[in-house]
This record gives sequence, structure tokens and C-alpha cells, in this order.
Amino acid sequence: MTQPATRADSSAVAYSPDLSPRLADIVGSQHVLSRPSELLVYNSDGLPGYRRQPRLAVFPGTRDEAVAVVRLLAEFHVPFVPRGAGTGLSGGALADDIVIVGLHRLKKIISVDVENRRAVVEPGVVNLKLNRHVAPQGLLYAPDPSSESACTIGGNVAENAGGPHCLKYGVTLNHVLGLTVILPSGEIVELGSRVGERDGYDLRGAFIGSEGCFGLALDITVKLTPKPPAVRTLLADFMSVNEAAQVTSAVIASGIVPAALEFMDGPTIRVVEDSIYAAGYPRDAEAILLIELDGLEAGVAADLETVRRICSDGGARNVRVARDEAERMKLWQGRKKAFGAMGRLAPHLIVQDAVIPRTRLPEILETIHQISEKHHVVVCNVFHAGDGNLHPNIAYSADDPAESERVHRAMKEIMQACIDAGGSITGEHGVGLDKMGYMESIFPAASLNAMCELRSVFDPERRSNPGKVVPVHSCREWQAVPAARRAEREPPSLEAEPSRPVA
Amino acid sequence: MSTESVAGEVRESFASRTPLRISGSGGWLDAGRLVRAERTLSLREQSGITSYVPADLTITVRAGTLLSEIAAATRERNQWLPLDPYGSPGGTIGATIATGSAGPLSSSFGLARDLVLGLEFVNGRGEVVRGGGKVVKNVAGFDLSRLLTGSWGSLGVITEVTLRLYALPEVDRSFAINLNGSEKQITSLLRALSTAPISPFAFQLVSASISRALGLSEEPIGIMRFGGNSAAVKAQAAGLEQVANTHEIDASTWLRLRELEAGAHTSLRISSLPQRIVATASRILADDVNGVYTSIDPRRGVIRVVAGSTGNAESPSELAAGVVQSDSSELVFEKLPPELWAAVSPSVVSDSLSQGIKRAYDPHNILNPGILGDLN
Repeated sequence: MTQPATRADSSAVAYSPDLSPRLADIVGSQHVLSRPSELLVYNSDGLPGYRRQPRLAVFPGTRDEAVAVVRLLAEFHVPFVPRGAGTGLSGGALADDIVIVGLHRLKKIISVDVENRRAVVEPGVVNLKLNRHVAPQGLLYAPDPSSESACTIGGNVAENAGGPHCLKYGVTLNHVLGLTVILPSGEIVELGSRVGERDGYDLRGAFIGSEGCFGLALDITVKLTPKPPAVRTLLADFMSVNEAAQVTSAVIASGIVPAALEFMDGPTIRVVEDSIYAAGYPRDAEAILLIELDGLEAGVAADLETVRRICSDGGARNVRVARDEAERMKLWQGRKKAFGAMGRLAPHLIVQDAVIPRTRLPEILETIHQISEKHHVVVCNVFHAGDGNLHPNIAYSADDPAESERVHRAMKEIMQACIDAGGSITGEHGVGLDKMGYMESIFPAASLNAMCELRSVFDPERRSNPGKVVPVHSCREWQAVPAARRAEREPPSLEAEPSRPVA
Repeated sequence: MSTESVAGEVRESFASRTPLRISGSGGWLDAGRLVRAERTLSLREQSGITSYVPADLTITVRAGTLLSEIAAATRERNQWLPLDPYGSPGGTIGATIATGSAGPLSSSFGLARDLVLGLEFVNGRGEVVRGGGKVVKNVAGFDLSRLLTGSWGSLGVITEVTLRLYALPEVDRSFAINLNGSEKQITSLLRALSTAPISPFAFQLVSASISRALGLSEEPIGIMRFGGNSAAVKAQAAGLEQVANTHEIDASTWLRLRELEAGAHTSLRISSLPQRIVATASRILADDVNGVYTSIDPRRGVIRVVAGSTGNAESPSELAAGVVQSDSSELVFEKLPPELWAAVSPSVVSDSLSQGIKRAYDPHNILNPGILGDLN
């Protein structure tokens, strides 16, 4: 199959002066931004260390407008970046001098089928809003990223988002039944099925987690989950990180599948307790585990006793069970707002998302500690321990080049330790721009090429979210481009470098 | 035999444009699918456990490993792979994943695609490709594992799979549920079961032909399986008894139910919204044709119709197709007599995305050509 040149991988796109007025004709001039000052707020996502200035931003307000916008961009062969709420943590929603297609105005909950436990939503529906909408029927939408109060279902689909409760309930992939997608070419396709199980290739599965590179979803059919009749939340605190890590491994090995099993270390506990999100965590602890069990009353009570015993045997100083919903919500608030609380420490935050085999947790946490000491940085660990999904965070000032350099080196070493342990570079945040440089360390060339080929089927011109996820030089067709012409097309070297925070 | 040897064979076939039939234990070779192949590439020798760390609840196995071998190895560590596709447990994991097969446990533990963490495959050019990883949560790169799962070997030859495991439940009990009564009574019983405080591992409604074959009854019945700690199972058994007339049955019933399908010449699945299936269940089960096995998973929303050597699948499948309107259901054929495939089942890969992927991954169309229907 011959492919057009990868022109979209470069930002050197000739914009027709007609584009902006034609977009305004579709969505109304107030929903097209083109002045640099107006576009400033769209120059980063949830990782403020990265900034890229978009050329234009357009915000369709209806499905028809979204279709017309994508088709117009196709007509002009213009590259674009689909964007939800911009809460992503991989630099995936950044547009480097190209067009942002913001979908947050497409926020209709189209239908809820209580009997069959499913809902059809537009991509801009906020995760928590869907949950609040279905809660009175005793239902919930299980994926619960910490940004749930702001992030959109469309963004969740793009990133295959997770969250604390994915330990038991699975990630976005396990909760999306079907989608209507507009491909970058403007063609509309149905992936998966709203009503049943379809055979043929799992294009639904391929689309989920494609980070905006395969087009954008116009509507999404999600599975809803009955609210469990019983929920118990337990807080165990430890005087050593190692004990908490050992207890995590012991709980998983016991075979009990908690609804969530979250880990916060001493520095994180104290940052949270100093903030408006204070949850009543013991400030002097070196680690806490937040463990939630849910299901039928009788089963939960029995599992709670088992988990309590594992914690106590493993050296927990205190094990406290939330007495009521208010206390439970407070314990969770501290965890969910921990990233926000870190804003107190420094202007920028770098967040990693590696996953390791759960038995390696104690050893990797020790390695992270050693790396942080070596580079004189403070790592705050707050993560989904139950599935081995680490989130080492470092708050820093990107304006200080020396500090940035130390942070960068520490993060690189941490990532390498996770890769060496047989892990993955990202569990739920996506590769985006941030982790693209690591893709070659976990996938052989043929795998990266297979990903390039898959992308080219969905987007032959590579116009949707260009320059993300898979490094362009990993694609075989790129290798066929004469070397002299590559320079103008290869993304700037900064982007190819892993976890390099830029101011 | 290594991945490299599989890759070598595929490379040779790529060079000579020799179409290959990919096989595991051979259980699917009698599915009647119209594969135009000149040679068979058997994965059966690609067998064994590559790595198994019980405390991580993950296992990596070669594609030719039998489901029964995985069950035996994990049982020793008090764990299991809750994937129970219909047919013989002597099927290979590679074929199970390639065909996206699942059984009664899927309404609790997910389909094959939900249990696969990563896989290795050889594409149609003979290149070794890996998708996903070995950890339980992973979004690195585009999702090649999902793409290969259920692709029937037509995008790549799966050589190794990493799977999520679960701890065996402390208690595992199964019950037969009496379905006597009028259509209306049965429907209201099913509705009561769907809101009862129970969370079964598996729940199937089976036709009288299946009840008889399992030696459980002369009538259609429900069979339900509970697993978990003893308190949870006890409470659920009590909850079930409050809404239904039941008696306990042996856990081996589930294996025998799966094995009924070995040797069938026809099997098909109709899926729809679960409550629509529930509303039609009693009528579908009432249609008792000897040699035709009909089972319904009301939570998954799936009706299965299977005809063995003596049965004729026409009657229940027509009924089911009539009851469930085609615009609100999906029909999937698994096995058919060869002469029926072209007439009954249109290609499921004729859309432009599927065609594009097939051409990219298997440019000479040498991997199981025709198994999902023609490309155009």
C-alpha cells in the first residue's frame, strides 16, 4: 500500500487564509480562536512543563458541526489535535502550530438504558457528570480517573483512562461497547456494537487508547455497573514504605480483588495534609494504604477481616475503617486531589505512570528512593498499588535549568528501572509526547512499525494528532524518505527525548 | 520449536505466496470455514509456560499450550484462568484467543479480549511483533493485542500470550433452577433474578435437550454458579432460594456443558440487549428439537444454538432470528457446514478499515485466507 508523504508530521503546513472564516461559518466566530493571546490557555494540558502554541482552535457545538469541521480540515489537508478537557498527563493534547478541535461542547447524555445498564454519550460529557446522572438509578460508570470532575468521556476513550477502581472493574476499554467515529478523512464509521457482540476485527478495541491519532468519537456507548450494595474503605498507616509495599503484594497474592488499593508515601501525605484537601491522614506516617472492598455485604465483611489481618501482620500501626459515607469521601478526596495539592510545592509537576509486576513493588520503591537522593529531588509517590501502576511525581520549577536537568535525569532513571523490571512505560496516562522517547525501549522495531501501519489505516495522511505516540522514524515508510528530506519533517529533538520538561 | 521457526515458515510462505492454514489442536478445523490454504502451520508444538509468577497473578504461555495444561499448572497455586470456551478443554490457548472464544464465565470475568494482557505474533511478512505487555495495566502504544484477539489468525500467527489470572474461589457451588411455569412466570422469575442480591460467576438457561444430555431434568432449566468466600456464597445461595426453586448440582456440570459442543457442525450466537433476550428466553427454550442445544446467557445477552451430528439447526435459529429483530441484534456464526458459509454468512471483514488492516499485516493474503469471508 503506498502512503502519502508524512507531511502532517511537520508543522510546516500551508494554511489557507480561507480556513478560519470557513470554520467560523460552521461553528460561529466566537467558537474559533486564532489570536495568540486567546490560544495561550490551550498551550498545555495537565503536564504544564510542556507548552506548544496552537495555530487555531475550533469548538464545534453539535455533532453536525463536528462532522463539518473534520470534513473541512480534510478538504484542506490540515493536521489537527482532538482535545477534551485538557486534563491529560502525557502532553497528548498539545498542538504544535496546528489546529485544536475542542470537543467539550458536545456534552449531551444522549440516552440511558437503565434496564440494560448502558448509556450513549457525546464525547464532551464530563466523567463525573455521567456518574451523577445515573447514580439515582443505582448505577455507575466504573472508570474513575482522579480528574473525573473535569475530564471527558471522549478523552477517557482516547487515553483508555483508568483510575483507582480499575483494579477490580477494569479500564475504559472494558466499559465501552461501541462508538461512532469520524475518521480524519471525514468518513463516519461504527465500531463495536451498541446492541450485542460483533465478529470481525476488534476495531473498537483498536480505537480505544489510540490517543486521538485515529480520529474522533462522535458518540460512545458505555456499559454501566450496578452500584455495589456494600462498600468498606480502610486506611492503614505504616512507619516504613517497605512494609506498605509488602502488604500490597500480600493482599494481591491473597486472591482478594479489592475495588481499589492505593498507596501514598510520607511526602505525599504531608503535602495533602497541608492543603485544603486535608483528609485526616496521619502526618507522621511514612506510607498509607487506602483499600476499598465492595460487593455483597456478607462477602465484604469477611474480606475486610482478612485484609485487616494482612495489614496488622505486615506492620501497620493503625488500621481504620471509615464509619460512614462522609468519612469515606474525605479519605478519597485526599487521594484524588493529591496531584492538585502538589501545586503547593512548586509551579511545575512531572508525573510518571509506569507499571511494574506487583511482586517487584518493594524493590522498585527502594530504587526510586535511591534515585531521588542521588539527584537531590523530592519524589512524591501516590499510586494505584493494587495493579502496580506507579505515579512518582516531582514538583519543580521548570524556570530553573539546573533543577530541570536533575529532575529529568531522575525521571529517566526511574523509568529505566521500571522497564528493567519487566514493566510498561504507561498504565493509564498514555504515551503522548512525554513518553514517546521510551517506546523503542519496550517495543521492537517490527511492533512499532505495526502500530504505524495501523495508524495509517485509520488516518492515511497522519493528520490526526501528528507527532505523538510512535516516533515517526520507527515507521518503515519514514525510512524510505530520503535523508535530505527528513530534517524538515522530524519533530524537534526535544520531543524525541523522554520526559524532558520544557518551560 | 520457537517463534523464530514459525517466523521462518511464514517468511518462506510469504516469498512463495503459499497460503497457510493456522491450527492449534485442530478443534476449529471442522468449523466448515472456507479457508483456501495449501499448507497447515500447526502451533501445537509451541507449547509450555514461559513464565508464571503466582503472586503477580499473571502467566505467559506459548500459543500451543492446552487450556487443560494451564488449568493444571495454575490450580497447583490455587489460581485459575477464568476462560471457559465451549468445546473441549483440549483446545489451545492460541486458538482460544485467535477465535475470541469465551464461555459461561465471561459474564463475570470478561471475554477473551478482557483477559489478554499482551501477545506475540508473526505477521504475514514473517516478522515477529509484540503487542501489550506482561503487566496488568498498560496503555503503551496502539492496542495490537485487542486487534489480534478474535482475528482468527488472519492478521498474524499468535505465538505467545500473557494472561490475567484470578485466585480460585474459597467456595464454588452450582445450582439448578427450576423453570416450570407459563411464559409470563418464567420471564418474571428471570427479571427477579436479575435484580436479586446475587452476583453469580455464571448463569445459563438451557434447553430441555441440554438438561437431558446433562442428566439434570427433562425440562429447560437454569444453572447458576457462585464463587467467593464462604460467607458470600452462603448469602447468595440463600438469596437465590428466596426467588427460585433450586437444587444443588455438581460443579462438573459446567465442563460437561462445554463439551456437549465438541463435534457440532453448526454453532451460532445471537446477541442483543440483555433484557430483550430475557423477554424472549422462555419462548426460545420451549422449542425443543432433538440434537439441537440452545443455551442463553441472560446477563451477557447471548443465545447460542448448536447442532450436533443428528440435529438440524434451522428451527431454533429461525425462531431466534425472528424473535430478535435484526436491527437490534447481532448474529455471529462460529461453525457451519461448508456449503452454507457463503450463502449464510457474509464477510465480516469487508469494511475498508478491516481490509486496510488485513492488507497491511498480511500483504500477500497467506494467513488463513477467507476464514472471515472475502476481503471484497
